[in-house]
Amino acid sequence: MPDETRELIRPPGVCIPWEEKLKELPPLKGDARLVQKVWEDTDSLAYTYIWQCLLSF
Amino acid sequence: MAKDMEQLYAERLRRYTTAMRKGKPDRIPIRPFVAEFVAKYAGYTCQEVTQDYEKAFAATRKCAVDFDWDATVANMVYGWAGLTQAIGLKYYAVPGVDLDVNTGFQYIEPPEDKAWMPPEDYDALIADPTGYLFNVWLPRVSADVAAPGQPNTLRNNLSFVKGGMAMMAYFGGFGRQADLLRRESGTVSAIAGILKAPMDILADKLRGYLGLCTDLYDRPKKVLAACEALAPHLAHVALSGADPTKNVPITIWMHRGCVPFVNMEHFERIFWPTLKPILQEIWRHGHQVLFYAEGKWGAHLKRFAELPDASIIYHVDRDDIFEVHKVLGHKFALSGGIPNDLLAFGTPKQIREVCKKVIDGVGRDGGYIMDASAIVQNDARVENIRAMTDFTREYGVY
Repeated sequence: MPDETRELIRPPGVCIPWEEKLKELPPLKGDARLVQKVWEDTDSLAYTYIWQCLLSF
Repeated sequence: MAKDMEQLYAERLRRYTTAMRKGKPDRIPIRPFVAEFVAKYAGYTCQEVTQDYEKAFAATRKCAVDFDWDATVANMVYGWAGLTQAIGLKYYAVPGVDLDVNTGFQYIEPPEDKAWMPPEDYDALIADPTGYLFNVWLPRVSADVAAPGQPNTLRNNLSFVKGGMAMMAYFGGFGRQADLLRRESGTVSAIAGILKAPMDILADKLRGYLGLCTDLYDRPKKVLAACEALAPHLAHVALSGADPTKNVPITIWMHRGCVPFVNMEHFERIFWPTLKPILQEIWRHGHQVLFYAEGKWGAHLKRFAELPDASIIYHVDRDDIFEVHKVLGHKFALSGGIPNDLLAFGTPKQIREVCKKVIDGVGRDGGYIMDASAIVQNDARVENIRAMTDFTREYGVY
């Protein structure tokens, strides 16, 4: 289990950078770009959640 | 959609966007930012529109139909209590729970020594703002969220499931509401996307206003670094919620970064240098910002005039709108300027007089949008909102 409290370089729109997630995965057998896109799309929802909590609610 | 309603919508969108870009439309657009007023008008309590957002949406649509406004906010009672309760947020006082059913929801700022972010946390916030919000800030502001390292709980798990799904449902409702406004009354949903200034959000939700004021003297470099760290995220959030058609603006809610809440030096060295680049970035992407200058920002108008022409629409609250027009009117459209105390305690005759004065003094050459000075709550008299609307429709023709 990765240390979830360590400070990461998280650009805007990102909670868990793809590069970090990739380290946990086995060698990808299919379309790596698709896996990355889906990861980043859903990750951005979590980003929206926390920043909307801060800004809107 | 009925053709005539679609035509009406197109006319109103053109009127609204033309005025926001400092043009001269066929007449002055009417775009009131109405919050708890919609509950009063539609026969709901504040509790009902705060806790049941479908009632807030319905009340807004009823106002849009009955007053025939050009544009309005899809739901200005934005702080849906179902969501804040699902997350377990501690800082809201909710009508029907903590407040009388006819009092609007309140934000409770903790005392300085109980700020959600203590001063020793600056470095963690600066190093990793998103990580800090999830790992430290959210567990503090939520009664249910457990911090990393603490025992997990059912309430913790439920907070994220309920909060996430509730947020998706609520935000999804805004798209539906915009469509209904368009179909039922040809009304434009006035804004899309949210922005706050880095120093304002640092005060509002992290250090508290008093904590920030202490920090501006004790650790100003940390305040500046925190604002610089927050800025790219605030720009990203603003752009990610913006209108893809680039018709309606992102709104910045300007809070307490002005003189006399802070001194001029702090504004010049921290507030403005960390906000201005965000506004420029948004403009580079082709979006205007509705600069909702809550309170009095008159001491800083010359700084705001540094922004590109038409990049903002400057909304006037408690400043003298005629003075604002002298300084900013050659660059930006203006909105607002109809005092809320007059809407609450004045007469329709007084409202018509002040509307005439504002239209004559500010709106004669275009670039003006009629609105109250501040968000309209349930103290406004219906007949005064009616007077503001009807007078502008008749007298505001070019």
